[in-house]
Amino acid sequence: MITSPATRLVKAIAIVLIVFWSVGPIVLGITTSLSTQREVNAVPTHWVPSHPTAAAYQALLNGSTGQSTGGTVTQGGDFVHAMTNSAMIALGGAALTLIVATMAAYALGRLRFRLSGAVLALLVGTLIIPIFVIVIGLFQIMANAQLIDTKRGLILVFVATQSPLATWLLYTQVRELPHEPEEAALIDGCRRWQAFVRVVVPQMSSGIAAVAAIIVLSIWGEFLIPLLLTSTMNAKPVTVLITEYVGKYTTNYPILAAAGVMALIPPAILALVLNKRITGMLAGSS
Amino acid sequence: MRLRRNREGDRSARETQILGWLFVAPAIVAVGTLILYPLVTGFKESIRSGGILFGEKPGYVGLRNYRDVLHDPTSQSAMRHTVEYVVLAVSLEIALGIAVAVTLHRVFRGRGFVLAVLILPWALPSVVSGVLWRRVFDPDTGLLNSVLLQLHVISQPHIWLAGGHSAILFITIVHVWGVLPLISLIFLAGLQSIPDEVYSASAVDGATPWKQFRHVTLPLLRPSIAIALTVGTLLAISIFDEIYVLNGTALNTRSILIQVYNTTFTEADFAHGTALAFLLAAVTAVFGALYALALRRSTV
Repeated sequence: MITSPATRLVKAIAIVLIVFWSVGPIVLGITTSLSTQREVNAVPTHWVPSHPTAAAYQALLNGSTGQSTGGTVTQGGDFVHAMTNSAMIALGGAALTLIVATMAAYALGRLRFRLSGAVLALLVGTLIIPIFVIVIGLFQIMANAQLIDTKRGLILVFVATQSPLATWLLYTQVRELPHEPEEAALIDGCRRWQAFVRVVVPQMSSGIAAVAAIIVLSIWGEFLIPLLLTSTMNAKPVTVLITEYVGKYTTNYPILAAAGVMALIPPAILALVLNKRITGMLAGSS
Repeated sequence: MRLRRNREGDRSARETQILGWLFVAPAIVAVGTLILYPLVTGFKESIRSGGILFGEKPGYVGLRNYRDVLHDPTSQSAMRHTVEYVVLAVSLEIALGIAVAVTLHRVFRGRGFVLAVLILPWALPSVVSGVLWRRVFDPDTGLLNSVLLQLHVISQPHIWLAGGHSAILFITIVHVWGVLPLISLIFLAGLQSIPDEVYSASAVDGATPWKQFRHVTLPLLRPSIAIALTVGTLLAISIFDEIYVLNGTALNTRSILIQVYNTTFTEADFAHGTALAFLLAAVTAVFGALYALALRRSTV
């Protein structure tokens, strides 16, 4: 196709704008996190710090008092603790979800068992239930089971909320896989479950990786459920802790930005490394 | 040989039945106990009275809580806000999403990099998006005020998040920042499904790029627009995180879900909180069904 210079120029500007829009707020977060509160408060404000400092990160990791940071109080060790909580919940939740969903997807896609159609409909049907209508009942169940404010409790909840979508995505994958390798294994005397573990799961590995990335990202970003089901640092993930750094009257932007930057590093790396698989799965499923 | 195979066939058929149920059992148990059961107890809560705490006789009251919520001025304003969030977010997402997709559709140097960067905002927690954007809208030290003051567009700092419409617009922008990557990917997939011949044919007819877009691309994108419309609505209708981080539970930006949170967990009024949540869920279900329909249309 022949494109005129004018069209090419418009397109180049559009590409620059897209990149600027996508990374601009992240870059601003990084520069803010390296500023002092004074530079942020200067009029006109300093976009880029003239003397970059890691003071905000130190305050975040070692703790600070409300007086020195203007409204934002950080407790030494809390932030790292919350990051660890987030990682454990995201990884634990994703691992369990993948086991549950891979088994279910295989059973629904390959094993013609009685009522499998109804089971599939039930699982996919729950996708239509928004999380917020179950949080109140969920709170009561978790309280009865003494799972409030535990990482175990959050992991169980996320397995339940993530499994239907994961099962559906993996199910569509299983349906497209060639049957021959599994049949060959069965003829060779493999039991069905052995064929599943040794042949089908490896066949599904790239789809499992993409779904794993999507689940980890989505659990890492969860906010409403942990906001309601946690109360102390025992299970509080980083998303919930960050909102506590927003002061009631004034906010220490460098500390808030430092927390935001740290919390976005794991998902950003995951998204950049697995971006082809993630975009493929997102575009394919929607 | 054949006999043996048949007997093995019987055994393996039984094995298939048992294995099938064993393999779906964990999913069914998880969904049953932690989604369907709380759904039922939540619904029961919504048709019960507030109880002694609220000076009422305990017991079921039918749809009274739903009626109360529909007539409550605060809930009504939360509903109005939610409609504003949805309309603003979805129109921005569709217009920008198509623009992004058209820009990134054809191969150019660095396209892989741009696509990788494009999905970043989607991958970040919406709480973090709120944190990143917060400084932009801060009344004292915000970049927006700083720039507008320097350009003499405004004469004194404006408190963006306290005003009604500007506050909702700004929160929507933060929301759109996180959702736009997904919408753009939907349109990119849509563009990829349009065969090149369609364009060459219209180019031969002498159509300008704009005419091509208007009369060829846009009509052929209709299935993607339907999907983007429903996905965008489903995500915006339950907006919560961005509002919570940027403006808390302030009345001027309260969405339905913020109102549910406030009613249920701050005022401890489970009855009305759940009723409002179920009303929202009913609307969500309608859009969910439309989404499924749009998805089926586009694949068939």
